[in-house]
Amino acid sequence: MSNQSKSLLFAAILCLVCSIVLTAAATGLQALQQKNVLHDKHRNILKSVALIDPDGRYDRGAVEKLYDEFIAAVWVTPEGEIVAESDRGQQDYPIYLYTREKVIQAYIVPIDSRGLWGRILGYLAIESDGSTISGFTVYQHSETPGLGGEIEKKWFQKNFVGKRIVDRDGDFVSVQIAKGDVETRVPEPQRPHYVDGISGATLTGQYLSAGLREILHKYEPVSIKFRNNQIQSVPDGNS
Amino acid sequence: MKLSRSKTYKAISAALWQSNPISKQILGICSALAVTVQLQTAIVMGLALTLVVAFSNLIIALLRDLIPRNIRIIAEVAIIATLVILADELLKAFLFDISKQLSVFVGLIITNCIVMGRAETYAMSHGPYDSFVDGIANGVGYSSILIGVAFVRELLGSGKLLGFQVVPDVFYSAGYENMGLMVLAPGAFIAIGLFVWLEHTLLKD
Repeated sequence: MSNQSKSLLFAAILCLVCSIVLTAAATGLQALQQKNVLHDKHRNILKSVALIDPDGRYDRGAVEKLYDEFIAAVWVTPEGEIVAESDRGQQDYPIYLYTREKVIQAYIVPIDSRGLWGRILGYLAIESDGSTISGFTVYQHSETPGLGGEIEKKWFQKNFVGKRIVDRDGDFVSVQIAKGDVETRVPEPQRPHYVDGISGATLTGQYLSAGLREILHKYEPVSIKFRNNQIQSVPDGNS
Repeated sequence: MKLSRSKTYKAISAALWQSNPISKQILGICSALAVTVQLQTAIVMGLALTLVVAFSNLIIALLRDLIPRNIRIIAEVAIIATLVILADELLKAFLFDISKQLSVFVGLIITNCIVMGRAETYAMSHGPYDSFVDGIANGVGYSSILIGVAFVRELLGSGKLLGFQVVPDVFYSAGYENMGLMVLAPGAFIAIGLFVWLEHTLLKD
């Protein structure tokens, strides 16, 4: 056999062995990995409504117990009706309800925004008045650590708490990331709709602002119903 | 034969000290800067790299007579990449939180000069046992600096070790403040620089 065909044969066998090993590992571990991802989502949903402290250490069981007790995963139609998982239509969006003794405290909207380098995934919780933000978390992003990556940090996320997505007249304005500090950059009447920006990450802020606006706009029908007190209880089968 | 004269001992002490991959050869700096904010991530990263170097050295040493010369670099990379992806999958399945913090850096072990360097300069010309030991020793040499830097950075930067508060509250109320610089990349540069300086000074004597 010539040297060249020997090299080719070796390369082919090596590739085959490597791919078999990796395929076996990926399929074998998939179930465990998916469980981890789901658990991480639950943890972040709880974090967005301040049911768990971002600094605290919680074991798996405690997190799942809290999730089962207080959070209901339901769907919302484009008209803003909340429906149970079983009645879900093709067009419906996911939404999570935080309830205490059958009373809705807040609703949680999944965030899927464009970032500078990739998608930003997280949750935004809004109080049952339909206009005040009660929390924001990010669980996956590919922004630059130290710059845009600061969106996953507590100091950035806690600034969202108490911000309003509607203005004084009740019109939708979303919430935006300021370029710099809100105190110095944003005029007084606008301040409830802005959070402090991250220095060195103006673009991440712009993309996230645009993403939040788009998503909140999509969920605006259900937000309006919350503002008008038209939603009181969790649909059957999910309480 | 005295222990200190054996080949294995020499190989280990060289990797740990006289030619430590980070502080003497200045290899693998990228990950050493990135994952040393906390001790926990540094330890896991060190462990992952040690396993990858050890097993890539072992496999390459076993195959060293089979690997055709003209494609040896590609073959080495393929073996290393497979091991790294395997390590990444295992972390995702069993240490999910840490794998999130290490993010891309586990994948970047593939490009870590230490792994390639040991495969090319050592494993291609030595037996499986020696190569495996060499891999472990280099991995531990790398980890020791990583852990040292992370110890300094976590202690000074956040007043914690392994996530537990070690600087007492009394200090904070007396006006002590965490050194913000240590949490950022420049802090890692300075800490690694000090380690390099320390080692060079000690080696001179």
